[in-house]
Amino acid sequence: MAETYTFDAKDLAEIEKLTAKYPEKQAAVLPVLWYAQDKFGHSDPAVQKLVSETLGVPEAHIRGVVSFYTQFYDKPMGKNVLDVCTCLSCQVCGGYDMLHYIEEKLGIKAGETTPDGQFSLQSVECLGACGYAPMLQVTNDKFVNHLTREKVDKLIEDLKAGNKPEFESNPMPQHEKGS
Amino acid sequence: MSNNWKSYKPLLIPAIPDLHEISVYEKNNGYQALKKILKDRKTWSPANVVNEVKTANIRGRGGAGFNAGLKWSFMPEPDGEPRYLACNGDESEPGTFKDRKIFEFNPHQFIEGAIIAAYAMHVEVIYVYIRGEYRPFVQKLQKAIDQAYDKGYLGKKILGSDFSVEMHTHMGAGAYICGEESSLMESLEGKRGYPRVKPPFPAQRGLWGRPTTINNIETLANVPLVMNHGSDWYLEIGPSTHPGPVLYGISGHVNRPGVYEYPAGMNIMTLINEVAGGVRGGKKLKALIPGGSSTPPLRADMLEGVTMDADSLREAGSMMGTAGMVVLDEDTDIVELVWRISHFYDHESCGQCTPCREGTGWLEKTLRKMKDGNGEMRDLDLLLAICYRMEGRTICALADAAAWPVRYSIDRFRDEFEKKCKKTVYAVA
Amino acid sequence: MPEIFIDNKRYEYEKPGKVLQFMLDNGLDLPFFCYHPSLSIPANCRQCMVKAGMPVFDREKGTFETDENGDRVIRFFPKLMTACSLDLADGIVVHTHHTDDLVKQAQADNLEFILINHPLDCPICDQAGECPLQILTYKYGPEGSRFEHKKVHKPKAIQLGPRVILDAERCINCTRCVRFTDEISKSYQLSIISRGDKNYPMTANDQEFDDPYSLNTVDICPVGALTSADFRFRARVWEMNQTPSIDMSNGKGCSTWLWTRDNMVLRVTPRFNEEVNDHWMPDAGRLAYRKFNENRISRPHMRPDETEQVRTSWNNARLTLLEELEKVSPADILVIGSPHASVEDNYALRTCFSRLGVSKFLFVPHIESGSGDGFLITDDQAPNANGVRSLGFEETEGKALAKLIETKKPRLIAILDDDLIGRTDLTREHFSEAWTVVWGTNHNDTTQAADLVIPVTTAAEHAASYVNVDGRIQRTVPAKETMYTNRRLNLEMSMGRLDHYGTKFDNWVTDANRVDCIPAWEFLIRLEDDGAASGWESSRQIMEEIAKAFPAYREVSYDRMDEENGIQLKLEQDSEVKTA
Repeated sequence: MAETYTFDAKDLAEIEKLTAKYPEKQAAVLPVLWYAQDKFGHSDPAVQKLVSETLGVPEAHIRGVVSFYTQFYDKPMGKNVLDVCTCLSCQVCGGYDMLHYIEEKLGIKAGETTPDGQFSLQSVECLGACGYAPMLQVTNDKFVNHLTREKVDKLIEDLKAGNKPEFESNPMPQHEKGS
Repeated sequence: MSNNWKSYKPLLIPAIPDLHEISVYEKNNGYQALKKILKDRKTWSPANVVNEVKTANIRGRGGAGFNAGLKWSFMPEPDGEPRYLACNGDESEPGTFKDRKIFEFNPHQFIEGAIIAAYAMHVEVIYVYIRGEYRPFVQKLQKAIDQAYDKGYLGKKILGSDFSVEMHTHMGAGAYICGEESSLMESLEGKRGYPRVKPPFPAQRGLWGRPTTINNIETLANVPLVMNHGSDWYLEIGPSTHPGPVLYGISGHVNRPGVYEYPAGMNIMTLINEVAGGVRGGKKLKALIPGGSSTPPLRADMLEGVTMDADSLREAGSMMGTAGMVVLDEDTDIVELVWRISHFYDHESCGQCTPCREGTGWLEKTLRKMKDGNGEMRDLDLLLAICYRMEGRTICALADAAAWPVRYSIDRFRDEFEKKCKKTVYAVA
Repeated sequence: MPEIFIDNKRYEYEKPGKVLQFMLDNGLDLPFFCYHPSLSIPANCRQCMVKAGMPVFDREKGTFETDENGDRVIRFFPKLMTACSLDLADGIVVHTHHTDDLVKQAQADNLEFILINHPLDCPICDQAGECPLQILTYKYGPEGSRFEHKKVHKPKAIQLGPRVILDAERCINCTRCVRFTDEISKSYQLSIISRGDKNYPMTANDQEFDDPYSLNTVDICPVGALTSADFRFRARVWEMNQTPSIDMSNGKGCSTWLWTRDNMVLRVTPRFNEEVNDHWMPDAGRLAYRKFNENRISRPHMRPDETEQVRTSWNNARLTLLEELEKVSPADILVIGSPHASVEDNYALRTCFSRLGVSKFLFVPHIESGSGDGFLITDDQAPNANGVRSLGFEETEGKALAKLIETKKPRLIAILDDDLIGRTDLTREHFSEAWTVVWGTNHNDTTQAADLVIPVTTAAEHAASYVNVDGRIQRTVPAKETMYTNRRLNLEMSMGRLDHYGTKFDNWVTDANRVDCIPAWEFLIRLEDDGAASGWESSRQIMEEIAKAFPAYREVSYDRMDEENGIQLKLEQDSEVKTA
């Protein structure tokens, strides 16, 4: 069950570049965890161990960091993690409706993963897209704004088909009016 | 300045297509401030740049509203050892979504401002700390930084001078507290984001124990404006005590939410009704959170004549914060809203200091009980008591940020809270 | 001299420092949890809040501004300050709970916060009775709780490592344990994990908290979150007596407390000694308490012929030894001192056998190379190698000793408490051609091979001195009674609270745990014909004699050792003093 993870020569070269940005190796803990999570999909104990060994930073410290920052997954997650914002602006603009709609649609509760491992669903704190509420973020990456039931349906279909959402630009309304 | 906002041309994020491309930025007066300084270093000695920015009184756009130039002047004399500038793009205060606009639409103006700041403070390494949720925007900024390196605005011997500076992006990973400047430094050093005890202040002992200044992204994007046009020109924009352009993030129940750039000191009702198109669905306005979730909410009737600047908002009973305005219509359930804000602070408390670690959870639990209809009248007094016991008792301001919205909401919407409470009558034992 | 005003009383200070430590040094009370004098200052518990302010200095006049009464105008900090992180500053004014109601309120508020998620399970908690949270709550806390929700649940009874158990719900996040492993033991095995009120200290996944100093985290934990796997549920702290002592398990001689109940040592904890161990000690030294209780030799043992050892009377033992000594010439006697025995016992051994004409005294240091860590664990496994050496015992190695026995074939071998067979320097065969007497505390391979075994007291039962690897002499006092001592009558015995205020019947109910043994010197003086050649009546007198006889010990006395927590010796053979 316990998988082993390794960094290959190319990874180590990249990590070398990340560490070079800082006067101390420990500072590279977050960037290297990101790098590892991008590669392995999570930061579970085995990945933490690898990062610890790679950077020479104590493993307990890595665990402390992973558990402090919500975007690091200390266990494997679904292929797509849907982080639905339910905070403040999203709350008052229907964030919970969207969350519950997705819960119903996927048949799981927030905090759970679908049995097929396709989707994990989380209710999260403000993601910084308050003007485009309600919204969600897909696996720590692209934002999907102005959610509606239809938009959620399509997103889930797309994700099932392996299509990740595109970056949505939200221009300044002022610019639109001016141009 | 009742109506001239209509003719205002954005300065932080001008309406120029593809401005994020360095060539477009250069064509539009980009990097001219930096060139001007490096060309005439006698006139523009680091100390003079600090003075100019100090005179311009760019008030920190991250929430505290502290004069940026004054902050720079706290840096000690250079001693040949490293010093750092950390740019704060953590932007995690609910209701705030403005710095991402700079990363997307005008990253170079921020980069230029940061380089000038580094020059003024004898800094050779700049870190840009951006919240992990902004990964797509980090990528956009990184592209702009790469372009700036290619053109020689960053790196060794900038524009042929002996001034060198490196700029690195550093991505957070989901922790509101890392927007607090000492916590940001801990996070940059690869640790859990626990705020540090002050003193020592960052200018004394910052990153890796060395002098460090932390500035907000939007604050730094103002710097080229000041250096290009002079502090006198800058002081003309908006109120003299809170000058300059401001990115207003308007969200919630309005017809046209989004980020708008206008001078500081805009009339709040103008922003809601004219700029953002009024309250959605023709409903009445109930309340406004003026500058992110920690700023005390104002009732609609308290907004008369109030403008978006530090002084006016203080008088009205709130704060400018990040100018992330959350508009709430008449149907908003204030108890539900305040519970959710408390939930946020409970979730984001780092857990270091007792009053915050325990107090945020206690507030959240009590408010949850109340919004679920199980509250009792005495819980209101308890909530207030918890707030008073959290405020000013912790290392950083998160406890205050968590307490204010609760305290002021109860103060300003007490009837709504009371309506949710059971009218239990206790026999006197 | 710069001055500080605490609760309207003026104090002077010499060195820069923090207000809390200054107050503690001056015997003033202020509640705190996270602060520890030997660790960094995170100021996270927020318990030591005080109101503080500085006098306003008038630059033009060059004096402090004064009000109409001529008192200094004080500008107070807008918020309450944590005294632990507040720097001493000339003229600073501090108000504590004694003079400021807001401070008093803030301290109670903070305790209310700490307690909302703390399980109030003091009745089953090991820490109860010595728990800062419990003590400070009684003293400064609120009268009740207004918290009416479910407490946060966290893991309980987690075996963090072989010796430490975690109850995360009791944790108040002071981070002392994490700071200890980061700053003192440098094992970096702990970190706070999670966030907010879900925080608690933890190791890396599947990693054991096997830091050789792990039990120090139990000592400094201000609540019962970290408890000792060994001591857990063994006794309530108020049932035990606490006696100062020193660690016998290696050459460092850490200052310790021995905790006893019913003449059993139940645990060992470190005692602050700035010169030796600060607040810390290695885990190994704590677990060595078993040696005081278990497998003890009680009553003399002898082997009449080639059969099993049998118990015998003290008088018979004495006469047997005298008989055997009669049979041999001094040149045929091999006397081996012990780095495990005290200065006094070694001295007595040497003195008595010198009178019999023996001139050569050996000892074998107990070194395990590579086991030391440069901190509190030494290569030296014995507490008194320098002591034996300083008394003129000749140092030899195990192999050399074995060879000596093989070639010289002594007819009588006398060994002071040292398991030379157990540590494989000698084998049973080395005793086969000689008659062997061993003074021993515990049954071991060496005592079992001996012809006569004299049971002697351990460091927990006698007053005696030991010289550590750095040449520092420190002494013990009896913590538990032997068959022949009495807590109330033995003047060297430390009197605990229970001795003073309890009665024999409610505290010291068991006589069964008294071991039938005496200090080695007490037996040795009985070998003298008239029994009074040396005239010693106590180990204190022996030390007085040593102080006269050996220049290095000139300044040494029990009183001075007690007052100064040990004395640094200027050993004549300084070059030979081994440091780990």
